[in-house]
Amino acid sequence: MSSTIEKNSRVSVEERLFSLVLALIATEIGLTKADILSTVQGYRQRYLPGGDNASLERQFERDKDDIRELGIPLEVVEQQGEPGSNHHLRYRIPKGLYELPADVTFTPDELMLLKLAATVWREGSLSAESQRAMTKLHALGIDSSDPVLGYSPSLRVREASFEPLSKAMDRGQVVAFLYLKPGEAAAHRRQVEPRAVVLHDGRWHLFGTDQDAAATRTYLLSRIVGPVVSVPGALFVEHGVGQGQEALSELEALWTANIAVVSAEPGSDAAVRLSKRRVAGERPADPDASNPHLHQPLHLHYTDLNVLADELAGYGPEVLVRSPDSLRAAVRSRLISVRDAHTDSGVSAHPQAATGADS
Amino acid sequence: MNAGPGLGASDKLTFLLALVPFLMDHDRISVTDVSEHFRVSPDRVRDAVNLIAVSGIPGETRQYLHGDLFDIHWDEFETNDVIVLTHLVAIDDSPRFSAREAAALIAGLQYLSSLPENADVDAIATLMAKLTRSASAAPSQVAVSGTDARSSIAVVQAAVRDGVQIEFDYLNARGEHESRRVDPWRIQSVDRDWYLRGWCHLREAARTFRLDRMSDLHATDVPTSPRSADTLLPENLFEGSASDLDVTVELPTSAVPLLADYAPHGSAGGKGDRVRRTLRVAHFHGLKRLVTGLAGVVEVVDPAEARAVVRDWAAAGVARYDETEPTVGGE
Repeated sequence: MSSTIEKNSRVSVEERLFSLVLALIATEIGLTKADILSTVQGYRQRYLPGGDNASLERQFERDKDDIRELGIPLEVVEQQGEPGSNHHLRYRIPKGLYELPADVTFTPDELMLLKLAATVWREGSLSAESQRAMTKLHALGIDSSDPVLGYSPSLRVREASFEPLSKAMDRGQVVAFLYLKPGEAAAHRRQVEPRAVVLHDGRWHLFGTDQDAAATRTYLLSRIVGPVVSVPGALFVEHGVGQGQEALSELEALWTANIAVVSAEPGSDAAVRLSKRRVAGERPADPDASNPHLHQPLHLHYTDLNVLADELAGYGPEVLVRSPDSLRAAVRSRLISVRDAHTDSGVSAHPQAATGADS
Repeated sequence: MNAGPGLGASDKLTFLLALVPFLMDHDRISVTDVSEHFRVSPDRVRDAVNLIAVSGIPGETRQYLHGDLFDIHWDEFETNDVIVLTHLVAIDDSPRFSAREAAALIAGLQYLSSLPENADVDAIATLMAKLTRSASAAPSQVAVSGTDARSSIAVVQAAVRDGVQIEFDYLNARGEHESRRVDPWRIQSVDRDWYLRGWCHLREAARTFRLDRMSDLHATDVPTSPRSADTLLPENLFEGSASDLDVTVELPTSAVPLLADYAPHGSAGGKGDRVRRTLRVAHFHGLKRLVTGLAGVVEVVDPAEARAVVRDWAAAGVARYDETEPTVGGE
C-alpha cells in the first residue's frame, strides 16, 4: 500500500461525508466532480492528478446517494452552453432547501408527542429513520414536556416485504411477488406499482396498481409469501401525495359498510376477544354489548370476507355466523374442509365431538 | 472513532449536522448536557466535537486553512469538558427531514392519534402538517389507522396514573377463567394487540396480560404497592416454555411464511409442492385454532392426538351450523 492510501484510511466515512456536505453548501455556483475529488477531505488524499480515478468516482456516486437518502437536497447544475457534458456538471446543496424552514417551530408538548411517535417503531428502517428525525429535531434545542407515564405503544413491521416495498415506492419502481390470496390454496405472481403501505385494522396492506389487471388492488403484507423483487427497468410515474390517506379511506369505507352478525358462546375465547373490537363511528361502547358473559349477537366490521372467515373458523364451535350468508357459507366450508382433512379414511368424525366445545 | 455498535455513517453524519446548530445556540455547554439532550453517550459527543473542530471547507486556497475550519475553545474542552464554538463554517441550521424520516414520524403519530390518551386530533393534524413542510420531499406513503380495546386502555391508563389496583376476569391462553387483582405498571402495544405488565396478586409475580382477554375490568380504590427495583420489565413480552409440544404439519411451500411465529423447521415427507414442517406449540388449545384458521392450507399429520383434537374442533363447529340449518346437513 502506498503512503497516500494509508493517509486516507485515517479519514472516516462520516468525516468524508461531513466535509462533502460542508463544501457543497459553501459553494454558490457549485463544484465540478474534479473540484470535489481533488480538494475535498477524504477524496483528495486518494486523488491522482491526471491519473485513473474511477474507483474514487464510484465512491462519490455512492456518497451522493447516501447524502440524498438523508433528505439533503444535493443538486446537479448543468453548465450553460455545454449540455450533456458530464465533465462540466456542477454539484451544490442550496442552503434554503437544506435548512428546516425558519417559520416551523415545535412546542415542548409537540416534541413530547414526536418523541412518543418515534418510539412506536422498535425495529427496522422506520425505527432508524424516526431516530434520525429526532436527532434533527434535537438540534432545535427544545426541551420536551414530561412523557405520558405507563405507556408504551409500539408497531412491529415483521413482514419482510415492508422494506423492499417502501423503498420501491419511493423510487417509483414496479415490483413482483408471490401472493397467497386469503381463501385460496395456491400463491400467484403479482406485478404491482406500489402506491402506499398502510396499517388498517391491525394489518399492513399494500395499495397499488396491479399491472395485469390494470386496476387498483389491495394486498395483505402477511400474505406476500415470496421475496419482493424489482422488475428490471420498470418504473412508473408517482401518483402524488395522499395515496396513503386514499388507501386508508377506501379500507375504512369498506370496513364500515361490511358488518357480520355472529353469536359467540358466553365466556369463550371468541366472546371475550371479539367483544373488544372497534366499533364504527367511535361511539362509546355499550357496556352490555361488550359483556362477554351475555348471550347476544356481536356486530363485527370487516374489510375482507375471507380474512374474517379464516379468523372465525379458528374459533370453531365458539362462534356461529348469523349473517351475511356468504360469510356463513365461507366459515362452514372451512370447518368442513378442516374436519375432512383431519379425518382418517374409514374412520368418521366422533359423533360426541359436537358437544366438546372447549376440549 | 468508536460510536458504539450498530451506528451507520448516515447516523453519525446526521448527528454532526444536528450538533453544529445546537452548539451555535449555546455559547457554552458541557458535554454532559449535550449528551443528555441528544440522548447519546458523552464519548459520542466528544468524538463528534473532535471531528467538527478539525473540519471545514477547502476554501479559496483549497488547502483547508485555519480560517476555513470550525474551531473550539480547546482549553475549555480538554480541561473542563465544556464546548465553546469559536468559529463557524457553512452551516447554521438543522437539516430538513427526508421523505422517509417524516413518514416514519407521521405514521407513528397516526397510531398515537388512535389511542384514547391522544384524542386531540387537531393538535396531531397540525403537527403532521409541520412535519410535511419540514421534509425535503413529500413524505413517503406510509399510513396507519385504528385500534381495538379503547375502553380497556382508558381504564388501565387511569389506574396507572392514579396508582390504584385493578380487578378483572382473565381468560388465559388455555381457555381458563380466573379473577385477577393486579398492580398495573405499564400498557404496551404490539400492532393491534395490547398488553398490561403488572404485579399479579394471585400469582405473586410479575405478569403480562392481554387486554382483549380481560372482562369485567374495573379500577379499585386500593393503592398499588411500591414497586421494587428488581421488577424491571423485560424487553421481550413472550418466552418459550419447556413444556412446548412438537407437531408436524403439511402445507404448500409458499405458505410456510404464514407460520413464522411458530418457528417451523424442516421435516421429512410431503407430496407434490407440499412440504412438512415441525412446529413448537404451547398446547393443543392454541393449535386447533391456528390450524382451523388456515383451512385448506395447513394440515396436521402428527401426532395422531393433535389430528384428532383439530378434527373434533372443526366437527363441533360444523355441527353448530347443521343444528341451525337442518335442511342443509352433510356436505
